[in-house]
Amino acid sequence: MATTTPDPTETDCPPMDFGDLKSECVAPRPSIMGQKRSLRSILWLSFKGILRGLLTTLSYFRRPSTVVTQQYPENRETLEMFERYRGRLSLIHNEEGEHGCTACQICERLCPNASIIITKDKKNEATGKPALDQFIWRQDTCTFCNICVLVCPFDTLEMTGDFESSVYDRRLLVFNLNEYAGPTAGQLDKLEDEELAKAQMKPMKKYQGPVPMCGGEMDGIPKLDVEKSTDV
Amino acid sequence: MADALLNPLSLTLSVQTSEAFAAPAMSLADRASRALESGVWGAVMYIVIGLVAVLTAVSVLGLVMSYIERKVAGHFQCRLGPMRVGPHGVLQSLADGIKLLFKEGIEPGDGDKVIFIGAPIFSITATILLLAIVPLAPGIQVVDMNVGVVYIAAVSGLGVMGILMGGWSSNNKWSLLGAMRAGAQMISYEVSLTIALLVVVLFSGTLKVSEIIESQQQGWWIWRGHGVAIVAFCLYVIASTAELNRTPFDLPEGESELTGGYHTEYSGLRFSFFFLAEFANLFVFSALAVTFFFGGWLPFHVGNYEGFNAVMDLLPPVISPMFWFGSKCALLIFVLMWFRWTFPRLRMDQLMRLEWKVLLPIGFVNLIVAATIVLTGLYFFPSAT
Repeated sequence: MATTTPDPTETDCPPMDFGDLKSECVAPRPSIMGQKRSLRSILWLSFKGILRGLLTTLSYFRRPSTVVTQQYPENRETLEMFERYRGRLSLIHNEEGEHGCTACQICERLCPNASIIITKDKKNEATGKPALDQFIWRQDTCTFCNICVLVCPFDTLEMTGDFESSVYDRRLLVFNLNEYAGPTAGQLDKLEDEELAKAQMKPMKKYQGPVPMCGGEMDGIPKLDVEKSTDV
Repeated sequence: MADALLNPLSLTLSVQTSEAFAAPAMSLADRASRALESGVWGAVMYIVIGLVAVLTAVSVLGLVMSYIERKVAGHFQCRLGPMRVGPHGVLQSLADGIKLLFKEGIEPGDGDKVIFIGAPIFSITATILLLAIVPLAPGIQVVDMNVGVVYIAAVSGLGVMGILMGGWSSNNKWSLLGAMRAGAQMISYEVSLTIALLVVVLFSGTLKVSEIIESQQQGWWIWRGHGVAIVAFCLYVIASTAELNRTPFDLPEGESELTGGYHTEYSGLRFSFFFLAEFANLFVFSALAVTFFFGGWLPFHVGNYEGFNAVMDLLPPVISPMFWFGSKCALLIFVLMWFRWTFPRLRMDQLMRLEWKVLLPIGFVNLIVAATIVLTGLYFFPSAT
């Protein structure tokens, strides 16, 4: 008795939808195990399987363009990381250097390892709304779980492809992500007076302000000269 | 010749038929026998020179082929392989060799020291002995004995001893299991290997390796063998893959279950001996397949197409055999590498079933068919004599 192969349309597994990612339930390929087949068909299937495998590897061998290896230190200038790679966290700034963070602190509350610390100006004098003061990211404790990016209501965070974050002092891994302390791009646009809007953007350096640990003096450890250390 | 074929007992006596073929004026083997006859010092000199030549060949083969293997493997798997040491990593195996030289030779405390030290030497000796009979070009052969095929069958079985010794003396369960697997596998597949070679021995009517090549002047045995030789060649390739412990038959070293197999406890130079033996064996088995089925150093000829054959003979007499032998060997080695990086590993029972229930019956039937063809004289190709 020849068993029939299951029809993919008859399976009771509906196609699933994960937003951008679509999944369709594919019926397993007919296996030559556990089925009553003639010796000839088994031999033929085995031969075909072997041949298919050989041709697949040969096609890779013949075409050097299929090589996926990156010659990393040499191609450093042209290296492009994958879209979904999770490297350094970044607060997105637009062309005018304005970010969209309203300092709502959702990411801070949801961060599993408390790697995000946000300080804010409770009421900005120009907009009358809370404004971001410091967006501190502790890279040393971050697990790159991506939750902060997912929960941000304004899509202001992203994981960049930058993976070269070695430093000689652990304290340099704690820094500010925002380039200025002040209201969001949208709030600044609403202000009629451009001079007033400019005045709200107080420049914020990467290592500035009361950042925990950053450059701070600790037991037996001298104060870190940030300028000198980051030059290296 | 026909009489010799009809009487199996006279197979080994067919040495005298060698006059029928155009033999080189003064071959290395002739010189060797003269040197051996000229006295003790001549014999000693010849043995020393032969040993040095073969040992150099083994080391160079190991270096070159480990590099090629890694490069080929890389490209089969969408990688690049070694790229750092020298342009495109050509010096990689040299660097690895230097590293292995400087490594400490660790011996397991509770192991059997003497056998442990002896095992890699035994393993590489078997390879060297086998390499001695490989004919690289007319006359370029260290020993050309009249029972060459028997010698091949006997010596290729020695390699398993080194592996068993290494596994046993390491006093380590992984080593022992790997060695036991290797022993079972290599002894089993040796039967198929020898049976496949016997088909060609039947056709050519001689056990002498150089004469087997000369008997293929009219055409290689793979074409002239009535299809029997093709089956024999397939058997030979499968069996030699198993004999070399290469994927899909690399159970003795199965990293996922046995860490390193029989050479788990080996380090430094002793490990490199196992390694060298492995790669030299790959060359030797390909060279034997070329010798038996693809006409050794003979150029590629097609029947009576004189023009085509003349083009194939264009190479000068010294380079031509080297070129043809080398290119045939390289092709076969590439095919074995291709197998290695494509197929998944077999299970132990599948491995044994394949040999004893599939390959061996096919081999015996094949041998009987070949014997029938030879005995009844059902040739449809011009006889060699």
